[in-house]
Amino acid sequence: MNFRTFILGLAASFGLPWLCLIVLPAMQYQQLTPVAYDKEADGVEGMYPPAPVNGQGLLVYIREGCNQCHTQMIRPPQLGMDGWYKGWGEDQEARSAVAVRSNELRDYLSEKYALLGIQRVGPDLANFGWRAPDAAALHQHFYSPRSVHDWSTMPAYKHLYTLQKIQGPASEHALKLPRKFAPPAGYEVVPTKEADNLVKYLQSLKKDYLIPGQAAVAASPAKK
Amino acid sequence: MQTSPAIPATDLQADNFRRAAIDKSVRGPVLFLFTNGAFWLMLSTLLGVLAGIKLVEPEFLGNCAWITYGRLQPAHINALVYGWGVQAALGVMLWIMARRSGQELKSGKSLLITAAVFWNITITVGILAIVLGKSTSIEWLEMPEFVWPVLLICFLCYAWPIARMFGRALRPEGFMVSTWYILGACFWFPWIFITANVALHCLPSLGALGAGIDAWYIHGVILLFFVPVGVGSAYYFIPKITGQPIASAQLASAGFWSLAILGGWTGMQKYMGGPLPAWMTAVGATAGVLLLIPVALVGLNHHLTTLGKHSAVAASPTLRFIFFGAMFYPVSGLVLALNSAFWTGSGLQFTQSWYAFQMVSVYGFFSMCVFGAIYYIVPRLTGCEWLSVRLIRNHFWFSVYGVGTIIIMSLVGGWQQGADFNNPDNWDQTFMNLVVNSRGYVVSRAVAWTLISFSNFMFLLHLLLMVAGLGRRSSAPTLLDHEHDDHALPTGTHA
Repeated sequence: MNFRTFILGLAASFGLPWLCLIVLPAMQYQQLTPVAYDKEADGVEGMYPPAPVNGQGLLVYIREGCNQCHTQMIRPPQLGMDGWYKGWGEDQEARSAVAVRSNELRDYLSEKYALLGIQRVGPDLANFGWRAPDAAALHQHFYSPRSVHDWSTMPAYKHLYTLQKIQGPASEHALKLPRKFAPPAGYEVVPTKEADNLVKYLQSLKKDYLIPGQAAVAASPAKK
Repeated sequence: MQTSPAIPATDLQADNFRRAAIDKSVRGPVLFLFTNGAFWLMLSTLLGVLAGIKLVEPEFLGNCAWITYGRLQPAHINALVYGWGVQAALGVMLWIMARRSGQELKSGKSLLITAAVFWNITITVGILAIVLGKSTSIEWLEMPEFVWPVLLICFLCYAWPIARMFGRALRPEGFMVSTWYILGACFWFPWIFITANVALHCLPSLGALGAGIDAWYIHGVILLFFVPVGVGSAYYFIPKITGQPIASAQLASAGFWSLAILGGWTGMQKYMGGPLPAWMTAVGATAGVLLLIPVALVGLNHHLTTLGKHSAVAASPTLRFIFFGAMFYPVSGLVLALNSAFWTGSGLQFTQSWYAFQMVSVYGFFSMCVFGAIYYIVPRLTGCEWLSVRLIRNHFWFSVYGVGTIIIMSLVGGWQQGADFNNPDNWDQTFMNLVVNSRGYVVSRAVAWTLISFSNFMFLLHLLLMVAGLGRRSSAPTLLDHEHDDHALPTGTHA
């Protein structure tokens, strides 16, 4: 075997998977566009996916490396319990009749790079928007996770908040913290713009919208 | 294969002069890469300790933004992969290729040093950027966008002379398997690196496909860069030190080509059950399991080559590290297969077992082989022998126990995480069970990184003393076992 056949062998053996797994799918992906719902069949109007995620908050999520511990991907029931977890989809009932659907390519259409996640140290956030508490509760969670769960291993993102002296009436945005975690008397904690954006981003995470053409499938009970 | 005993003494001497001339020609760049790599390794292991602690006790050292887990963990991995891994690999590749091809590095030495300097500056800026909050959150590519063209050019500055040496020295009888692997690594890395960076940074938007490409990139760098360099140096040093030819040329060839054919297909199974088209993850999973074939072929070949020479493993620091590194290769294949196959992978997905795979391949396998190579190469470049048997021995044992602990604990911890997550009783619970149950495994990971930091401190110190020319002035190599059987090491193999 000479130099040329060796290099050709390398190029051929690696070029094939490169072409099939990366180049062609990437070219095909560029053709992927939102699709319109059919009012008759789906019962809703507009485009699918209906709304993009909050872009400003996404930048904070990326910067802080949240995907190290939080996934954004619901797996189908044959691979994991994801779909059956309480409140992990639009249906917030205690025991929903059907599992939350797993995700598909269009769910991430508005994102440059989908943060599917590295590990699942904390809960999955794919559909967090449905179960997100109000902004004040989320801010408390970011500022001091251990004031919510004493076993939490989530870092406290204190740098997204400002500790300031109360001047005049207390700010209406100030965090209401349990006494143990509260700032010293005369001070208050207010969220920065970034913290607000992060909250808006998390509230915008809803990746289980109805897929066009699947309304009938989802509504009917499982066929025996 | 190597120096045959039948060669007359004058030829042997000429051979030794030729080797010394080759060593001298690559001395500067190789030592520069090794020393800087060792510093990054030290930093990376310390960050590993800190990241492990922060994952259990997030308030350790205060709530400073720079040291939250989400920034520390990527800094730890990037320092390990680009600071130590690629850098040390380039040094080993350059030296082995020069020796194997019998070519001196004719020109461009200052270009190589400059490229290495730029590599280090870029990594420093990149890792600082991650810690200061400019991370891209794309796994293994967390450093900001602007670093990749610089890294690529620096890499090519090394790949080009290595490929040239290979091309010039090509003779059918001198064509050995270790050079295939090294040339393969030179060839695959830029291809994978360009593809991933162009796709993820330059194309307008790839959504979930981007995540799949990133997973493919990580597997590609491990399987088609770190693995070839590790296997290549094992194929070079095992015959050299045991004095036995490689057991089977057919096995070697089959092992190489099956890796080349399968390596590019795997990776996307990291997101099995996710938004990617199912065939992509299925192909990745299949290849991930089929990769057991090259692993087994190479493992068998190494086993047959070292058969009956285990006393040399005890005596030679190089062979000891490479032998254990080569033993981690089958383990890494096994971990990959466990993570890839649907019936085990669904439990291990998104757990610490992913970390186990990265560490067993980058640290357990690749780094151990490179340590072995460094223990062989550096004395020949500095003209003095390693100072202390104890330092080498401690480096070895702390590394083996440390990385072994990380792998076992991360795998078992990952299994535990998966079992907790998929336990139907937890369907309406918070993540408390999962967090509390995995705590012990993360603590042991931090302890293991502490052991490894200790071992790397000794390695760095030893290496610095050698580079400063303070090693032992002796013609006898530093061996770990002084009562060893003299016949275990054939004369001339340590020339």
